[in-house]
Amino acid sequence: MEKLLEVSSLTAGYGDGPAILDGAHLSVEPGKIHCIIGPNGAGKSTLLKAICGMLKIRKGDVKFKGQSLKGLRPDQVLRKGICFVPQERALFPKMTVRENLRMGGFSLADKSGLEKRIDEIEERFPILRERRDQHAGTMSGGQQQTLAMARTLIIKPDIVMLDEPSLGLAPKIVAEMFDIMRLMAGEGITILLVEQNALTGLKNADWGVVLDLGRTLFEGPADEVLSDPRIQELYLGGKKAA
Amino acid sequence: MGEIIQIVILGLALGGVYALMGSGLSLVFGVMRIVNLAHPSLIMGGAYVAYWGFKLYGVDPLIMLPVAVVILAATAVILYKLVFEREARSAKYSEMTVLLTFALAMVVEGALGTAFTNTQRVTSPDYATDAFFIGDVFIPKGQLYAGMVSLAIIGALALFLKYSRFGYAIRATTQNREAAELLGVNVNLVGLVSFAIGIGLAGAAGSLVSFVFSFYPSKHWEWIAILMSLVVLGGMGSILGTVLASLILSVIAAFVGTYFGATWSTLTFFVALFVVLMVRPQGLFGEKPELA
Repeated sequence: MEKLLEVSSLTAGYGDGPAILDGAHLSVEPGKIHCIIGPNGAGKSTLLKAICGMLKIRKGDVKFKGQSLKGLRPDQVLRKGICFVPQERALFPKMTVRENLRMGGFSLADKSGLEKRIDEIEERFPILRERRDQHAGTMSGGQQQTLAMARTLIIKPDIVMLDEPSLGLAPKIVAEMFDIMRLMAGEGITILLVEQNALTGLKNADWGVVLDLGRTLFEGPADEVLSDPRIQELYLGGKKAA
Repeated sequence: MGEIIQIVILGLALGGVYALMGSGLSLVFGVMRIVNLAHPSLIMGGAYVAYWGFKLYGVDPLIMLPVAVVILAATAVILYKLVFEREARSAKYSEMTVLLTFALAMVVEGALGTAFTNTQRVTSPDYATDAFFIGDVFIPKGQLYAGMVSLAIIGALALFLKYSRFGYAIRATTQNREAAELLGVNVNLVGLVSFAIGIGLAGAAGSLVSFVFSFYPSKHWEWIAILMSLVVLGGMGSILGTVLASLILSVIAAFVGTYFGATWSTLTFFVALFVVLMVRPQGLFGEKPELA
């Protein structure tokens, strides 16, 4: 199968600082949920930021549909169809829910279908219709995360990247978030998420990627990664994590 | 009763002008994180543009207002490119801008003094010394016009921010710069344009001030503390908060001025600042500081 996104021997870091990622690789297949796991400081978030253009790619390459994303700005990567939802504060807290959804379509050159598209999304997520005139910052954590994910759908992206969507949410709500991801994947949207909680992430994903010290240790089908003895080693001592 | 209505009206008219002065400051802080101590000196610049048009060509300050907006907005673009852009990546950007704009205020003051001398000036269109009378209540036309034009400009700004595409981009950048950038907003352009709008508003305020107060190049020092207290009271970066704080406090200051003497009226702003910082440090409409 052709790879939708291919990251090869990627090196990246913040400003002039040390390389956080050093030799990370990853390949992403259409319509699947991919989960990146690894200990603190492994470079999971950094990897997503490098793909979306927030960080400069120092070495290696990121290819999307065969084209390099190297040197592109976040808005250019977005227009190619890759949407990134950063950790925790992805919303505009003092804008209404409806205005937040409109911001989701900011990059669209043709705004004619935008309001209709927002209506469709509100139909799928009734809570967003109910709260449409409420400031996003006044909603619960789960509702905010739902809005952040729903907002990506406005531009009908190919890939949605989520940085710890379960952070600070109750287990029941986390399950709901994964239901939404499953739904999105069912529509052909590829999900690439970073999870602190490896168990939860891998149980809900199709593909697992294990990152440590800025490089990819191994990747494979999520259930295989989950039962791999190296995971035990990584998380339960043995090998010293960063 | 007549006296109370009188004081309220005078307070509101002056409050409208303060609101316009403060909203430019608030916008620039909200979007750019620039604490612009030079804002009042640029207001003085706007006042001198109006004075120049009035004295030399007999043009009404209200007609000079758009000219002052354009000149000051253009100045802002040059200033931004020259002074602020190179520091934009600094980790201590806001702190740095305090020093930068303090120096800038002195440069502007010096330039205005050189060009126009340090003499007190005022533009004197007919309405500046005229008044309406409704029963016992007298409404000076100059202050009334200045207050009304200010509120109209702020209203237009609010509509622009609420409904235009660029307004969405400005609000989004103010609230969450990173997320705005990720959704395709060119945050650098938004910053530059907001700065130009904010300083353009200083130009507008300056032309209105030119017939309400007499002015001279170093007058801006009298305003910076009041404007800063209004912006902090409203909640840093909240224009609505700044406008409400201006209107409410100017009315209170007018009462204080009437019953305790004009010397004490300025004190109103600082007492209010102390009280608000004690009970609600984020200001009326500001966000709670993050516990990090």
